[in-house]
Amino acid sequence: MTIIERRDVPPARTHGPRRWVGQSIRRVEDPKFLRGRGGYIADLVRPGMLHAAVLRSPYPHARIVSIDTTAAEAMPGVYAVVTGAQAAELTDPLPDFGPDPAKHTWRCLAVDKVRYVGEGVVVVVADDRYLAEDALALIEVEYDPLPAVVDPVRALDAGAPLVHEALGANLAYDRTFDFGDVDADFAEADLVVRDRLRWHRSGGQPLETVGAIADFDPSTGQLTAHTNSLSFTSYLFMAAATLRIPANKLDIRQVPAGGSFGSKLFVTKPLVIAGMCSRIVGRPVVFLEDRVDNISNCDHHGSDRVYDVELAVMRDGTLRGLRIDTIDDYGAYIQFGVGHHGNALAQVTGPYTIGSVRYRVRAALTNKNQQGAYRGFGSEVNNWMLEQMVDKAARELRMDPVEIRRRNFIQPAQFPYFIPTGNAYDSGDYEAVLERALELGEYDRWRAEQARAREEGRYLGIGLITAQERSVFSATEFWFWFDEPGAPVTSMPESVTLNVDATGGITATLYSCAFWGNSPETMVAQLVAEEFDCEPHDVSIVYHGSQGGLPATGPGGSRTTVMLAGAVEGASAKIKAKARRAASELLEVDPDDLEWTEGGFQVRGVPDRRKSLGDIAIALHLFKHTFPEDIESGLEESKVFDHPWTTMPSADRSDLGVFYPFMGHACHVPVVEVDVATGEVRILAYAAVHDCGTLVNPRSLAGHIVGGTAQGIGTALYEEFVYDDHGQLVTSSFLDYTIPSAMEVPELRIDHVETPSPYTPHGIKGGGEGGRMMAPAALNVAVNDALAPLGVRVTELPMTPDRLRAAIRAAEGAPPG
Amino acid sequence: MRDLHEITLTVNGREHTLAVEPRRLLVDVLREDLGLPGTHIGCEHGVCGTCTVLLDGASIRSCSTLAVQVDGRSVRTVESLASGPDLHPLQEEFWDKQGLQCGYCTPGMLMRAVEILEQEPDPTPEQVREEIASNLCRCTGYQYIVEAVLAAAPRLRGGQQWDPTAGTAATVPTEAKA
Amino acid sequence: MKPPPFRYSAPTTVSDAVALLVEHADDDPRVLAGGQSLVPLMNFRLAQPGHLIDLRRVTGLDTLRLEDDVLVIGAMVRQSTAERSPDVALAAPLLAEALGHVAHPPIRHSGTVVGSIAHADPAAELPAVALAADAEMVATGPGGARRIPAAEFFLGPFTTALEPDEILTEVRFPPFPGGHAFVEFARTHGNFAIVGVAALVALAGGEVTRAAVAVSGMGPTPLRLTAAEEALVGRAPGAAAIEAAVDAGTAGLAPAGDLHAGAETRIDIARACLRRGIEGALARALDRR
Repeated sequence: MTIIERRDVPPARTHGPRRWVGQSIRRVEDPKFLRGRGGYIADLVRPGMLHAAVLRSPYPHARIVSIDTTAAEAMPGVYAVVTGAQAAELTDPLPDFGPDPAKHTWRCLAVDKVRYVGEGVVVVVADDRYLAEDALALIEVEYDPLPAVVDPVRALDAGAPLVHEALGANLAYDRTFDFGDVDADFAEADLVVRDRLRWHRSGGQPLETVGAIADFDPSTGQLTAHTNSLSFTSYLFMAAATLRIPANKLDIRQVPAGGSFGSKLFVTKPLVIAGMCSRIVGRPVVFLEDRVDNISNCDHHGSDRVYDVELAVMRDGTLRGLRIDTIDDYGAYIQFGVGHHGNALAQVTGPYTIGSVRYRVRAALTNKNQQGAYRGFGSEVNNWMLEQMVDKAARELRMDPVEIRRRNFIQPAQFPYFIPTGNAYDSGDYEAVLERALELGEYDRWRAEQARAREEGRYLGIGLITAQERSVFSATEFWFWFDEPGAPVTSMPESVTLNVDATGGITATLYSCAFWGNSPETMVAQLVAEEFDCEPHDVSIVYHGSQGGLPATGPGGSRTTVMLAGAVEGASAKIKAKARRAASELLEVDPDDLEWTEGGFQVRGVPDRRKSLGDIAIALHLFKHTFPEDIESGLEESKVFDHPWTTMPSADRSDLGVFYPFMGHACHVPVVEVDVATGEVRILAYAAVHDCGTLVNPRSLAGHIVGGTAQGIGTALYEEFVYDDHGQLVTSSFLDYTIPSAMEVPELRIDHVETPSPYTPHGIKGGGEGGRMMAPAALNVAVNDALAPLGVRVTELPMTPDRLRAAIRAAEGAPPG
Repeated sequence: MRDLHEITLTVNGREHTLAVEPRRLLVDVLREDLGLPGTHIGCEHGVCGTCTVLLDGASIRSCSTLAVQVDGRSVRTVESLASGPDLHPLQEEFWDKQGLQCGYCTPGMLMRAVEILEQEPDPTPEQVREEIASNLCRCTGYQYIVEAVLAAAPRLRGGQQWDPTAGTAATVPTEAKA
Repeated sequence: MKPPPFRYSAPTTVSDAVALLVEHADDDPRVLAGGQSLVPLMNFRLAQPGHLIDLRRVTGLDTLRLEDDVLVIGAMVRQSTAERSPDVALAAPLLAEALGHVAHPPIRHSGTVVGSIAHADPAAELPAVALAADAEMVATGPGGARRIPAAEFFLGPFTTALEPDEILTEVRFPPFPGGHAFVEFARTHGNFAIVGVAALVALAGGEVTRAAVAVSGMGPTPLRLTAAEEALVGRAPGAAAIEAAVDAGTAGLAPAGDLHAGAETRIDIARACLRRGIEGALARALDRR
């Protein structure tokens, strides 16, 4: 395939004054949700709809010897009972972007053996969910238990039980990348800081589970599905292939999602289960996970990494090079390959001028639910790793932790800046963010308070981290892992259609952009209002189903607002071009003599000779003969907006190209107190300053910072999917998987620095993942700062009372040193 | 053969007589039998509070309550809050302060907030925070929910109603430059 | 997560309720009060009773009264009712304080005091309170009512001295003139505690005259820490006595660890809670004098 080289750096834009972009308007999505009329997947009832429930494996690893479904099939109210083996006759494997998918085949139900607790074994379709669950209880499965592999490091040992025999090992991916002259940087270093770090798995756990309603029409062969995600239009054909349905006979329609945080990125398994069942029974079927399904079988657990890291440092605090060796526990399957590490590599060196990186990633397969997406997609783990290392370097050099960061910042004049991996950072002003955070977080006052508290025997700690928030991924990230990628795709677009009706009312159609608590409708309404000088709340927003829709990708990697802005800008320009021509006919002037102002075109300098958009629209809709032959009736235009800055990786992958270039930045400053008697961490204060370019709706963005920080607090202190040594999931409810309540989340102080991107409409960068990218790192630094007088440094998240007490006990027992 | 029990429920002021299986959860009766989908199902074991409704004025978890247990009693759901086009002051303030993102916990949170302000019409921020800790929100980090409840308190104390002519695109100040 | 099918009765008298327990003895009958423990377990299908006997219509069980100085709480008294009752605040302030730690208000609106005690979760607050307070359990069976001291009531996790045909109809809290404190440590607000401590102390003549301390989360049942009590009685209230009580109280504990806290950490936390609980109870006892 020919790949046409793109310019290395796109032309810089200038950004004009704005009226609506930057206003904290009320969100246009909200009234229906406030009234309880959100229309979530569980609210959609279709005539004749049946309910599916899935029998889950109680074993982490076992051969399925036999399944007896006789009693379940005979139960009144049951319409179908489908085993994994039967499902494998009816459907193909699920879409899998991992290396060599045939060697770790992922199906909607387990076939010969189960590979984790919670994996689906049989699906039942019944009149309602109560009866479906009754029928599950009648199914008898004989298992032959196998030894489970739980620890990701031991999973790689020779002789470890194999999760997938076809793979011949539990190592699904292993590659070392060298970016820059790593050996020279380490050879010349005054100090090499080393550490082993451990990040355990947590996940999005939205309050609404994942589901799909499928309605197969045997007369047309059409499958209409509703799911609480519509973010996979770009590879919908793969889901269609799994269901063995022509892609143009599969229509997936958007339903609002009650939270996702990544975990509803691709609703493929529930869709395939519901679709398969609907085809069997000839009626609409809903499969909506219950809470245990979602915790144990959601395919979206987060990163689970062991790191061995070395940081080459000079005596003056200059950070030179990084050597990273990480093993990531992917669970039983690896649907997205090691894409999470692409996210890490996009910003692996943080805001610092670190010149070289060696990055080894090994993907281990174990008997756990597989990884998927969780807010940050692995880059938040990198932020945590890097900030722990920088913090340790400061300690070992006896340098101020603020000073070591400041000394290594990329400076504003250096942008666009290319980091060693080849990714570009478009813009930034890290010093400005830091200064604002120190002020907002009252850093100096808290340092004094900390000193006072230490005299009283209290352990206060101040965390300060400065880290990156990449946004808007490119398709190259899916395949630069491989020397011979199966499909080196380069498209990752987003589309918008704008329609101006005969009264001048504007309707925007979105493709693939799911609502899951982000605000695509509000963003588009504000962007359209900016273009056409109308009220945002007067803009109508509709979602197009996948069938016959324009190319689109959907949310993920903080791309939505930037991509929608590009699409709105492009569609608006087309609308305005046609409207200008129409206005020139109506006003009998040359199009070039018209200027757009206050919602219409007017003759330059003659305010009373103007046509509003409504005047123009009614003419275009109803008065065809007013215009030249070639002007078509109506006023509707679409824009397919492609990624604005992607470059290709080098053949040897020493340079991955530009793949995640709109680089946000933040500084978080939490203050914690550790109760050393119990290991409890209390957050006393928390300041966060973010720069994600031009803000569209500052309050919405601040809401994502607070909400993301709350999730980051969960990751840092409370949340973990715990599998015991035998592979049993022991956190299968919200009693054990502890999500922070309002009492665990402090009142945040938030501010923004706005460094507009030179390469995006209005200078917007993505920001939706913000808080969670930062909080785990910041809280770990804060706890370590608190416990420094005891000689305790915590290197494992979450920092539970058990882990903190164990570390404190060990320090108390250690000889003074 | 299903063992059905007849129960009478008053929901949002309207009395309903239903025959239900004793195992049927109140949340399912509200959503499916009575067509009130505003009460959502979250954790299904009483932790998250997404399914919160008021039973004779007191908040309960409708996912952990059998419908037969509330025979003869009065239930209020989120559908009772707005009056025609007019939102309840709490709904209005949740909108204004962006006290919701995905909206899924919102009905339960609103019903809990109704109770909180009935019990303490002039709460402190700390009281609101502690009281809403009964309900999980995965999106907002709670801060703007606390702000919304506090902002609604004086309006409810004064018996004020939302003025729909005030417009829907009111801007709120950006974050305070502390 | 939907409950399995079961038969259901809502009798109007205790004797009818007991008769139903007897009649359906082979059908794994369970008594339903507030349901805040039972219904979630049924949603998980971890509990699958064949017959539920709902006490909601039984007359007389929703009363909370004082008999002389003894606080008597009926089986259908909701936790939030007890929490807001002046009688509870005055007659059993330890119970009142502990109720504020039981999950969240919406749970307490449905959940009952007696139901929580009968459920006998070793991590729960109210069984520990009943044990520290020397409460008496009134069990009503076919032969009438009998009283079981709290010390003989909790036999193991979710296991009590109730016979299969008995209903826990009342719990009686005797007065304790002195100071009280309930202290617990939970991962998140309102979640099950890792450790809870219920402490009662009385002072006279500058020394501790009586002490009652129970702990939750440290064994298969709530545990009475008699060694801690003995370490306090006869000593002046002060740091030395408290440390002695903490050491004595935790010396024999051998909790099973779980995912929230291993055994060692559980003891660390128990020490902290015990210290704070005794301190709090002593401070209140000093206030009362």
